[in-house]
Amino acid sequence: MSKEKSFLEKALDALASLKLTLFVFFTLAAASIIGTLLPQGTSTAEMQGQFSPTIISIIDQLGLNNLYHTSWFMVLLLLLCLNLLVCTLDRLPKTIKLLKRQEETFDSRKLSKFSYSASFTTGLSAEEARGLLHGAVADSFGPLHELKSEGAYCAVNEKGRWSRLMVYGVHASVLLVLLGALAGSRLGFEGFMNLPEGATSGEVIMTGGHSFIDLPFKVRCDKFEVSLYDTGAPKEYRSDLTIVEDGREVLKQSILVNDPLTYKGVTFYQASYGATLKDAEIELKERDSGKTITMTLPYQENRTIPGTDEQIRIAEYQENLMRFGPALGLVLGKVGQDANSGSYILVDHPEFHGNRVQNYQVRVLKTTKSHYTGLQVRRDPGVWLVYLGFILMLVGIGLTFYSSHNKIWACIEPGTSGTGALVSIAGRSSRNTPGFAESFEELSRRLTDQLKPEKMKEVQKKK
Amino acid sequence: MTSSLLLSITTFVYLFCTVLYLSGLLFHYGRLLTAGTLAGLAALVIQMAGVILRWVESYQLGYGHAPLSNLYESLVFASWAIMLIYLIFEWRTKQRTIGVFPAFFAFLAMAYASFSTGIDSKIQPLVPALKSNWLIAHVITCFLGYAAFAVSFGLSILYLMRKASPDNPKPKSGILSALPDARQLEMFNYQMILFGFLWLSVGIITGSVWANSAWGKYWSWDPKETWSLITWLIYAALLHARNMQGWKGQRVALLSMIGFGCVLFTYFGVNFLLSGLHSYAR
Repeated sequence: MSKEKSFLEKALDALASLKLTLFVFFTLAAASIIGTLLPQGTSTAEMQGQFSPTIISIIDQLGLNNLYHTSWFMVLLLLLCLNLLVCTLDRLPKTIKLLKRQEETFDSRKLSKFSYSASFTTGLSAEEARGLLHGAVADSFGPLHELKSEGAYCAVNEKGRWSRLMVYGVHASVLLVLLGALAGSRLGFEGFMNLPEGATSGEVIMTGGHSFIDLPFKVRCDKFEVSLYDTGAPKEYRSDLTIVEDGREVLKQSILVNDPLTYKGVTFYQASYGATLKDAEIELKERDSGKTITMTLPYQENRTIPGTDEQIRIAEYQENLMRFGPALGLVLGKVGQDANSGSYILVDHPEFHGNRVQNYQVRVLKTTKSHYTGLQVRRDPGVWLVYLGFILMLVGIGLTFYSSHNKIWACIEPGTSGTGALVSIAGRSSRNTPGFAESFEELSRRLTDQLKPEKMKEVQKKK
Repeated sequence: MTSSLLLSITTFVYLFCTVLYLSGLLFHYGRLLTAGTLAGLAALVIQMAGVILRWVESYQLGYGHAPLSNLYESLVFASWAIMLIYLIFEWRTKQRTIGVFPAFFAFLAMAYASFSTGIDSKIQPLVPALKSNWLIAHVITCFLGYAAFAVSFGLSILYLMRKASPDNPKPKSGILSALPDARQLEMFNYQMILFGFLWLSVGIITGSVWANSAWGKYWSWDPKETWSLITWLIYAALLHARNMQGWKGQRVALLSMIGFGCVLFTYFGVNFLLSGLHSYAR
C-alpha cells in the first residue's frame, strides 16, 4: 500500500478545501465589483471613446461587458457548487456518526482540557456534593446523566446536538437557489410586449430583441391609465388586461406595478408605458389631375384609396424624424400585392416637397395617439426551487444563530486526604456565546459558594 | 410637536450620548457610562416617537406610508437600529465601555440626514414601484443587518486598538484598560457579525422575493443587489475562515471592517455613483 494519494483523491481534497471556498467567495466578489463599475450590456463599440484600445480588447476578451453571463462566471458558480457538494459528502457522514454516538464512559482526567473548566475541593462527602452538583447544573444547564468512569463519579448534560446539522441546511439552500436559477434560465423565458390600448397579441419579444415566441393564448389591453399625485409625481400605473384563449375571454384582471397577472404559468408585469399612433387623417392630392382624397388610416392597417386599385398603409411612426418632428412612414402598392414604394411624410411640415408617395402629394391633417402598455412577460418554472432555498437558508442561518451544541461534564473524586471530595466541571460549546460563558461562570460561583468557600482550592477558567 | 422637531432633538441627544460614553471611557468613570446608556435610551425613545409621528403626518398629507421610503427616512431608521442593537447588546453583555462608536455612528447618520443639503427631508408620496407590503420587511431587515455590521465595525476598531497596545493583554492605564479583554471583544464581534449576517440574508431574500413580484425577476444584477451580494460574500468568507480555518483576532477584525466598507458602498456609493433599480433611494 502506498501512502501517495491518487490524482482523484487529491482533486477531491482540493474541491473540498476551505481554500477553494475562500477563493470562490473573493473572486465572485471581485468579479461582481467589476460588473457594477462597468456598464453591463454596453457594446465595446459604444465604449470606444471611454477606454484605451488595450482595455477595450481585455473587456472584449473576458466578456466584462456581459460579465454575469460569461462562461468563466458560470465556472465560478459551478466551482462553488462542487465545493459545497464534495465538502458535504466528505463531512456529513462524520457529523452523523458524531451525532449518533452516545457517550457512555468518561475519563475524569480529560476535564481540564476543555475551554471552560473549574474545580473545587470540599469538606462535604461525595454523596452530599453529588446532590448539590446535580441541583446546581440542572438550574444553569439541565439535568445530568451519569457516565461510567473509573475511580470517579462522572455525569454529563448535553443540548443542541442537532444544531451541528444546520450548516448543511444552509449549504443545501445555496445549491437549491442555484439549481432553481439554472432551471429558470433553461426552461423558462423572459421577454416583453408593448400592447396599445385595444390591441390583442400573443407575441412576446425575447429580452435582447432577437427573437420572439407565440403564447398559446392572447392578451388584450383594454385600458392603460397613469394617475398622478397633486405634486405631479406618478401614483399608479394600471393596465386592464383580458386573456383571450380560443377566441373566448377567459380572464379579466387589472395589473399594477406590484401586482401582476399570472395565467398558465406565464406572468405579466406592468413594466413601462408609452404613447403610439392610433390613426391619422391624411389628404392625398393626385399630382396629375389635382384631385384630392381625404381618408383616415388606422396605424399599420391597409386601406384602399377610394376610386383606385391601390392600397396605402402607415407602416411606421417616428416621434422625431431627423429633428423635423413626427413623421409617418407610408407605403403604397396594388391591392392584394406587397407595397412597392414608400416614403416618410412630415406631419408638422405640410409644404415639404418630399411629402409624396408615387403620384400623390400627401398632407397629414390630424394624428390621434393612444397609449400602449409595456408588459414584462416571464415564465420561470425554477422559482419555487429558489424560494425553497430561501426558506431553508433563513431557517438554517437563523437556527445557527440561536442554537449551539453545548455540553457540560461534572466529576466527583474522593478527596486526596481521605476526607471530602474534589468536584470538577468542564464545558464546551460549538459557538462560544456570551450566554454560555455567563452560565458557566454563574455555575462556578454557585459551586464555590455551596461547596464551602474556605476550602476552595482553585477556580480557574482557561483561555 | 412635529416629527422634524423630535428628530432634531434626537440628533443632539445622540451627540450628548457619544460625549458621555467617550468621557466615561477616558476618565474611567462608571457613572458617565451609565449616563451614556440613559442618554442613548432617551434618544431611542424620542426618535421612535418622531418616526411614528412622521408616519401619522404622512397619512395627514394623504400619502399614508411607512417612513422608510427615501434616503432621509432610511438614515433615520439606520441610526435608530444601530442604537437599538447596541443597547440590547449592552444589556446582554453588561458591557458599557464600547458604546462610543455605536452612539457616534447613530449621531453621524442623523446629522447627515438633517444637515446635508442633498437630502430632502420632506414627506413624499410613494412611487408606484414602492407600493408594496414588502417595503417595510425589506428595509427593516436590511438595516438591522447594516446596523449590526456598524456595531461590529466599532468592536473591530476597539479590538485592534486593544491588541496593538504595548502592554496587551492587561493594560495598566489609559482608555484601553477599561475595555473588556481582547478575547471577549473577539467573541462579541463574532456574535454581532453572525447576527448581521442573518439579517442581511433576510434583507436580500425579502428584496429578491419583492423584485420577483414586482418585476418578475428575483435577481437582475442591479448594482444595489450586486453590492449586497458582495457584502454577503465578504461576511460569508469571514465566518468560514473563522470557524474552519481558525482565523481569529486581527484578520477577522480587518475583514469585518472591509465588510462594513462594502455595506457603506451598498448604501451610499451605489446611490450616488451607480444607477439602477434603486434610484428612488437618492
